[in-house]
Amino acid sequence: MAAIAAPPLAVSGELAADLEAVARRLRRVTVLVGGRGQGAGAGIVWGPDGLVVTNAHVARGPVGVTLADGRRLRATLVARDPESDLAALALPVGDLETAEVDDGAGLRVGQLVLAVGHPLGLAGALSIGILHRVPTDREGAARGWLVADLRLAPGNSGGPLADERGRVLGVNAMIQGGLALAVPTVAVRRFLRHAGLAAP
Amino acid sequence: METLLSLSNDLAAAVERAAGAVVAVHARPRLASTGVHWRPGVVVTADHTVRSDDDLRVTRPDGRTVPATLAGRDPATDLAVFRVADLAGPPAPLGDPARLRVGHVVLALGHGPRASWGVVSTVGEAWRTWRGGEIDRLIRPDLTLYPGFSGGPLVDARGDVVGIVTSGLARQLELAVPATTVERVVEALLATGRVARGYLGVGLQPVSLPETLRRAAPAAGEGGLVVVNVEPDGPAARAGILLGDVVVALDGRPVGDTDAVQAVVVGRPVGSAVTVALIRAGAPVQLSVAIGERPVRSR
Repeated sequence: MAAIAAPPLAVSGELAADLEAVARRLRRVTVLVGGRGQGAGAGIVWGPDGLVVTNAHVARGPVGVTLADGRRLRATLVARDPESDLAALALPVGDLETAEVDDGAGLRVGQLVLAVGHPLGLAGALSIGILHRVPTDREGAARGWLVADLRLAPGNSGGPLADERGRVLGVNAMIQGGLALAVPTVAVRRFLRHAGLAAP
Repeated sequence: METLLSLSNDLAAAVERAAGAVVAVHARPRLASTGVHWRPGVVVTADHTVRSDDDLRVTRPDGRTVPATLAGRDPATDLAVFRVADLAGPPAPLGDPARLRVGHVVLALGHGPRASWGVVSTVGEAWRTWRGGEIDRLIRPDLTLYPGFSGGPLVDARGDVVGIVTSGLARQLELAVPATTVERVVEALLATGRVARGYLGVGLQPVSLPETLRRAAPAAGEGGLVVVNVEPDGPAARAGILLGDVVVALDGRPVGDTDAVQAVVVGRPVGSAVTVALIRAGAPVQLSVAIGERPVRSR
């Protein structure tokens, strides 16, 4: 029995290649925070000097961090704000590849978003979805969470929510009613400024 | 990175194109549902989200809330139609649901706008809802209908509205009413305030017919339907149908299940006659029943 010949995948082949490239890039700047397996969280390499941003509910003190290249390091907790669910860690290394960060000014409902993390202990897993809603002008300065129609699981906490170019838009923090909630990068910058940490 | 970027831009553009016609519908306590500005001055939503017939309001895409009046509702297809004098912007760009194929990327929109994405999971033949509504084709999107999404548009990758999504037509199944069906219901509700559906006024239970009975009634097939309920003063009662009669054919065509009966009755004009062949106490009987209009059931 002859198999049906596969049609040439003009678009979806390119799409897969693009996704692979973005996933690879995001994985290089995503760390594992805490022990391996379930119960671990994620973090984002924010500064080349070893600054890592994660959730306050992921890092409550000094903690073990595993870099994308497999190096395992002891991180110190340098700032923590449970209200915004953000924490900053310092790693005793320099010269790290850092995440490209976007301030989310031109966000559009429906655009693709990607998450990398360690859902249920699965290290470096990629998820794809779309932006569910964007705070409108009517909501003014009360910019809250970034909300995505994207499937996350415990272990994604502290990891990046990124746009289709791999630029970080927020820090994944919560799952609510099946939706992914992330702390926007403007809030991260504010948090780092208040903590006296140089923002890139 | 160009392909991924194009897809992302296309999806965002599709949301923006359709969102100009997406409104919030305030017709039940607390949770607003979603509606679509379908024609100039007309909003369509999911009927099950409309709990009251008056004090209706919709919030336009620009955030202004304006009053609405009920033009009609059709619980059988789970659609309700409002007239809204003060709708800003153009109605939704409508697409052809016949173009949808399993695997196509689609979006559902809630007021705000909020968006949910997925693919077309099932496309099937015309089907009838449990309340007797005729739906032109079965469309099941694989996406999440978040709270308040019912009544909103199913949008294709072009940004065209191809249907209305609802969680109210089937238990545990999120479906879309295709735009062609919505058009038909909107037309009827604007013209007369209701969708008239033929009705006999009987409860029927399928039974298989023993050989002896089949021989007694030449019009009968393998099975028939025993009358287990007769609506007092309904069309069947007035024609003399009795509890315990076994219906075997309508207009000479054998009927063995309720779908076959619905197929004959629902589409018939109210007032037209249908010949009912039945077996009563082992003997064939023929009666003519004037089809009535299905009463609107209170929820």
